Amino acid sequence: MAVCIAVIAKENYPLYIRSVPTQNELKFHYTVHTSLDVVEEKISAVGKAMADQRELYLGLLYPTEDYKVYGYVTNSKMFRKLHNSFTDVMCNPFYNPGDTIQSKAFDGMVSAMMVQAS
Amino acid sequence: MAQCVQSVHEFIQDSFVPMVAVLCSEDAEKVTRKNNLNFSELLRPFCRLTSEGHMRDPNNQVQVVKNLRISVNNVVTRPSVPASGTPSLAQRLLLSEVVSTCQPAEGGVANVITAGDYDLNISDRSLKASVPWYRDWRDTLTELSTSKHYTATTPWFEAYRETFLQSMPAADHEFLNHYLACLLVVSSSEAVPVEKFLKLSQEQHRIQHSGEYTNPKWFIPNTLKYYVLLHDMSQGDEHRADSVYEDMKQRYGAQGCYLLKVNSRTAAAGADEQIPDPWSQYLHKSKQVLCVDGSLVNSLDSTHPLQLDTSGDTPGSLDALRAVAVETKAGTAAAAAASHGACLTLNDHDRIRQFIQEFTFRGLLPHIEKNIRQLNDQLVSRKGLSRSLFSATKKWFGGGKVPEKSIAELKNTSGLLYPPEAPELQIRKMADLCFLVQHYELAYSCYHTAKKDFLSDQAMLYAAGALEMAAVSAFLQGGAPRPYPAHYMDTAIQTYRDVCKNMHLAERCALLSAEILKSQAKFSDAATLLIKMTSEDCDLRSALLLEQAAHCFINMRNPMVRKFAFHMILAGHRFSKAGQKRHALRCYCQAMQVYKGKGWSLAEDHINFTIGRQSFTLRQPENAVSAFRHILTNESQQASSQQADLDSVLLPLPYINSSATRVYFGHERRLAEGEKQAATHVSLDQEFDRDLAAMWRDLEEQVVASANRGVVPATFQATQCCLNSQTDNLRFPLAVVEEPIIVEVVFRNPLKVPLVLSDVSLLWKFTLKDFSRPQDAAVGDALAFSNEKETLTKQSDDIIATEVIPEFFLNPEETKVARLKLLPHQTGQLNILGLVYNLASTPSTGGVWQYTALVLFIGPSPADGTSVRGRQDLEIQGPRLNQTKEEKTSVSHGPDRRLDPTITPPMPLLEVFFLQFPTALLCGEIRKAYVEFCNVSGVPLCGLRVVSTHPDFFTFGSSSLATPLTPLSPTSFENCSAYKTLATPPGATPGSVAAVTLVSAGDFGLGEGGSGTSNGVAEIPLEDRVLKPGQSTQLPLWLRGPDHEGVHEINFLFYYESAVKGGKISHRVLRHTVFICASRSLCVRATACRSNTLPEEEAEEEDERRNGSMLVFVDVENINTNEAGVREFHIAQVSSSSKQWRLHRCINPAEDKDCKLNSRERGKLCFRATRCKPVQEKYIFADLSLGNEQIISSTTPCADFFFRRCPPSDSRRPPVAVETQGRLSRSQGAGPGGGAEDLTSLVRKCNEVDLDIIVLWKAFVVEDNKQVILEGQLHVALQTIGKEACSLTQKEEAQEMVLLKFKPELPPPMTRPSMEQLSHLIKTNLHYPESYRHPFIHKSLCLVPVTLTLSNCSLAQVDVIIDLRHKTTSPESLEVHGSFTWLGQTQYKLQLRAQEVMRVPLRACFLHAGVYNLGTPRVFAKLADQGAMCETSQQTATPALIIIINDT
Repeated sequence: MAVCIAVIAKENYPLYIRSVPTQNELKFHYTVHTSLDVVEEKISAVGKAMADQRELYLGLLYPTEDYKVYGYVTNSKMFRKLHNSFTDVMCNPFYNPGDTIQSKAFDGMVSAMMVQAS
Repeated sequence: MAQCVQSVHEFIQDSFVPMVAVLCSEDAEKVTRKNNLNFSELLRPFCRLTSEGHMRDPNNQVQVVKNLRISVNNVVTRPSVPASGTPSLAQRLLLSEVVSTCQPAEGGVANVITAGDYDLNISDRSLKASVPWYRDWRDTLTELSTSKHYTATTPWFEAYRETFLQSMPAADHEFLNHYLACLLVVSSSEAVPVEKFLKLSQEQHRIQHSGEYTNPKWFIPNTLKYYVLLHDMSQGDEHRADSVYEDMKQRYGAQGCYLLKVNSRTAAAGADEQIPDPWSQYLHKSKQVLCVDGSLVNSLDSTHPLQLDTSGDTPGSLDALRAVAVETKAGTAAAAAASHGACLTLNDHDRIRQFIQEFTFRGLLPHIEKNIRQLNDQLVSRKGLSRSLFSATKKWFGGGKVPEKSIAELKNTSGLLYPPEAPELQIRKMADLCFLVQHYELAYSCYHTAKKDFLSDQAMLYAAGALEMAAVSAFLQGGAPRPYPAHYMDTAIQTYRDVCKNMHLAERCALLSAEILKSQAKFSDAATLLIKMTSEDCDLRSALLLEQAAHCFINMRNPMVRKFAFHMILAGHRFSKAGQKRHALRCYCQAMQVYKGKGWSLAEDHINFTIGRQSFTLRQPENAVSAFRHILTNESQQASSQQADLDSVLLPLPYINSSATRVYFGHERRLAEGEKQAATHVSLDQEFDRDLAAMWRDLEEQVVASANRGVVPATFQATQCCLNSQTDNLRFPLAVVEEPIIVEVVFRNPLKVPLVLSDVSLLWKFTLKDFSRPQDAAVGDALAFSNEKETLTKQSDDIIATEVIPEFFLNPEETKVARLKLLPHQTGQLNILGLVYNLASTPSTGGVWQYTALVLFIGPSPADGTSVRGRQDLEIQGPRLNQTKEEKTSVSHGPDRRLDPTITPPMPLLEVFFLQFPTALLCGEIRKAYVEFCNVSGVPLCGLRVVSTHPDFFTFGSSSLATPLTPLSPTSFENCSAYKTLATPPGATPGSVAAVTLVSAGDFGLGEGGSGTSNGVAEIPLEDRVLKPGQSTQLPLWLRGPDHEGVHEINFLFYYESAVKGGKISHRVLRHTVFICASRSLCVRATACRSNTLPEEEAEEEDERRNGSMLVFVDVENINTNEAGVREFHIAQVSSSSKQWRLHRCINPAEDKDCKLNSRERGKLCFRATRCKPVQEKYIFADLSLGNEQIISSTTPCADFFFRRCPPSDSRRPPVAVETQGRLSRSQGAGPGGGAEDLTSLVRKCNEVDLDIIVLWKAFVVEDNKQVILEGQLHVALQTIGKEACSLTQKEEAQEMVLLKFKPELPPPMTRPSMEQLSHLIKTNLHYPESYRHPFIHKSLCLVPVTLTLSNCSLAQVDVIIDLRHKTTSPESLEVHGSFTWLGQTQYKLQLRAQEVMRVPLRACFLHAGVYNLGTPRVFAKLADQGAMCETSQQTATPALIIIINDT
């Protein structure tokens, strides 16, 4: 299960970030931020023409000492659920795209995906 | 990024150079010492050969040696470093020192790297980052990938690397830094130089072969010895040196010795000669390193922050270091002071260069060439045998054994050592030699071969070394015959690190490999390699490598900015652990550029916090503050993390809201003192109200205008006692010497922990100025003082006393104000700069937190009761300017002089107290109170005036009349009437006598007309008009309750001037605000009617008879609602005041002499008023007392309030009407209707009365079971006959709600005087006997004479037509028994002059006895000159009944 889930805006600022061992939040933030380089690399590698057919699953972005960082989707369909939930948030007419996500439903869904710590 | 100054090839070549040892005789040492150098140092700048050398390889191929460098070092026999895997403490210190001394240049050219959306400023420390909003990043990326590499230099890394490589200890498994040759140097001044050479040669031999020393290590057993004879040109005999050299040549061969002549410059000659100092750049670094010895050695004794684990270091090495340090101390200290090479000329430089070249090409290279050949021959001869032997044995013993052996032996392979002369090492030796002379091809093949051998022997250390060098030489091979074997390096590093546990070698290997990979643009690999090398054991190395890795990321084809940032943070962390605070700060700052403002708040906060802390320790308070402020202003922070921050925090704590600062000039006033009530004035407790301020300003303008004969001076500026952000602070405020200045500062505690400030006081600067002298003189001797330096506090207190607040407590997140006082004792210009305070830990938290203030840094605080001296400046930005176009387009702010008061010479200071001042009054109630004026200053005061928003509320009495009436003290006033009264003569009927007084309005301080003009300024009748210092005076003050019920805010502004003129302040003011609650009392309505009775014949005067009289009905209603309080009202007196009319007598039908009114009762009074002749615009006061005492209404206070009354609303109307009419007539021109204006006024005049009725009443009120008599007066202004006037005008206020009309209102149609108005022109009266006896029997016709009196009421000539003819159809003709006829002329045409009375004799003829109405004559009148107008029927008189009695 995941220890940290983050939704990042295309301008690379966090829309939503949540991690389970809260005492080490900073580390996760750094990790997520750093992984954006890889995401960017992978996305840019596909090229503009292919942008539409791009595979959304980016796979393993990079491993750290303790964790592995994945982009978008895993075979557990975890990320599809996340995407669906994210789509729901986006469809909310009261949500202003680009704002930090503050949605109970999304929160609940993310909590379900998290490692149930303690 | 780590873009080195050197190219990669250069770097690697320079990392491995032939080593040459130096053994120097003492005399030779002395020669070189003259130049502040030892021999090896002397040579160092010339160690790079500029020309090419040649040598032949074993295959007789000529090999070109380019750009060769040799390294010359003194022989040091002490083991410098134990050849263990970890670097020694001394080495660490050295490296750390190198890194910390090498800092990026301050203010250097900013090196901006654009990567993706980010513009990263790499070499600059400033926190500059563009706002990287999402542009088309893909475009940017593609553009970037085609562009050149980014450059950034990290000189500290290069310095580290250089020092690191130089300090590599010589290892056994490789020969690269073993000495190849030894220079034996002997001075020519030696008695027998040859012997000395011999000695040195022996010593070298001893060092190398005796086995006493493990250090230094020598490359080959028969080391090249090169004999150098050093000749000092300034001292020795040159011929002798030459001859000795000749001797040497004989002995050692021409290629084995050299005569070096130096010091040809004499000290005297060379003073002005400019000689370059090539040593500085070489020696500086190493010297610097050694120069730190003092501190280094000292710090070794104490615990150095870098000394993490001393366990690995033997005491010996420590001693060694100390010994080195002590030894070099003397030399270096001097060396650092003096320049190098002072005795050398340029010629000498050339000689040295020549010598090195000679030595290298003639001595060293051939020596190497010879050895390579020898080694090659050995190897070739042995190859067949040994190789086969090795392989045979391997086959023999090998097979399945190898793997199991490897595990067991891998552990201790580092212990596996070949003897120095082992054949396995010969090939390595040869490879190293080849490598040193740049024969990389041969070197590679040798290394490769050696590697295989070592691997097969499982000699891992050796193998790793061979692998490393094989890779390097493969890279260095020109023409790139084979790709760079990166995996060799990886294996080598892994082996060094994991198997041999030698981080030192692994690090060297990694440094080389990373450099090579970078040169091949394999940044990703380089970064991985560097990151792998980071470990827990050495923070400095880890930090540097992480930083390099970060630079690798950003130099990738697709720059990985975030990885760069992350690794920068890691590097910064390690730097800070390694004690490299400046580097740490730099790293964090660079990383900050990426994280800043992107919503990664947690990370951002962390970085900010670290930056803040590092800046703090580096004494960069501004950076620290901005970083910490960023954290603390971030609302998301929790108390816990803030507390963590506070562990080391330094902040401007608490915050000061500068713009909310208020400044108050003057004493803090007592509001009440016993029964005295002080003027409210201005205080800091009042909120600023813009409307109120405008009101006060208006009042002040009024009073200033009145003091300056009606003109407001151009320099007028409203007095501002309390300055805040909303007041006009453009000018320097004026404060008075010896009067306090109170500054209110708004503190805010942004933290969730309480703060305690102690010893809070203001900081100021003061320039002395003497305003009493002319301005020019004052400029010259301007003296400035300040209390900024604490020691001066005593002295500065004499100039300005500064109040200190001992303790000031701020709760968490509280906003609180502190008031700080200054008391100036001198005149001049004061500038309040800021405030100082001690910021202390709160007692509740037990002194755990230590707050450090902004500016002052302190050393370690005492363990408890910590406090820090803090200072904050009060800088107030003025309002934004928005006047001109320029100001509108730019953002500029005006000055704010709130805190820069000018201290002026003493001014009078007035204090005003009120005694017996009521808070509630009935409407119209008169109350007497007392005011006390006190001059509390040392300057006489004059020109005391008061202005009020309600001038009708109070009076000081008229100056001419009031004085004799004033009771001496308020106590004698008990239950005394406020009015001046006279007892009515006994026996006189109340209401029958009207006492008449003539009074001019001027006596009551009012201008002509007395209609209470807008000017509400009253001069206060002071004795002598001056209030001397310390003097106080008490004056009576009459108050009259406002006419409208409700709460009234009444503002007084007392104005006064200094009796001494010419000060900076022209006047001063004192404000007072009272609230009066007015409750309803009586409502008086009055109507005036024309009296139809003819003036009596006995009327005293002709005038009165002619003008007639008037009836005045006064209708008084008790509308008081407070039934419990007011029992009843008595109407004590009714007085009139007019210029033309007076009340004549009371014609009340009821005999009720004192009119009493209970609640809701209504009383009616009727008076006759007569017209009197106006006397010089004087007012006629007539008093009709209904009680037993007469109130003299023409004196204070009654008349005062009469004159101060609000002008009745009716009187305001005429000017408006005239104006509109004027406009009309203008539009119509002088047409036929032009006379209408005249007409109207004429007609109105006819009906005008202008009589004011003053109703004086007494109210019996029960208060606390005590009956109190209250008095009061109400005014009614009668304007027009027949129109009711009321004392209450409040209903008219409702009219203010007028609908907004956007079209101009049509001018009212020509106001013709109405029929009704015109019908009042003529007053008619019939005079006849009431009853007439007539004997109808005798005479059938009864003739009765009747007189018709016509009196013209108007002031114009009137044409009158009298028509006596009966109008039979007239409905109003009384149907009486019969009719009568008028005899004689039935129609008269008359002309009546203004106010003329005419009597027309008429005769009536009656036929029968009976009652007849004589009132049949119809009177028509028209104004004489109004031809166009027809006559208007005049109001008929009341029925005039006559009784005709048949007299029989």
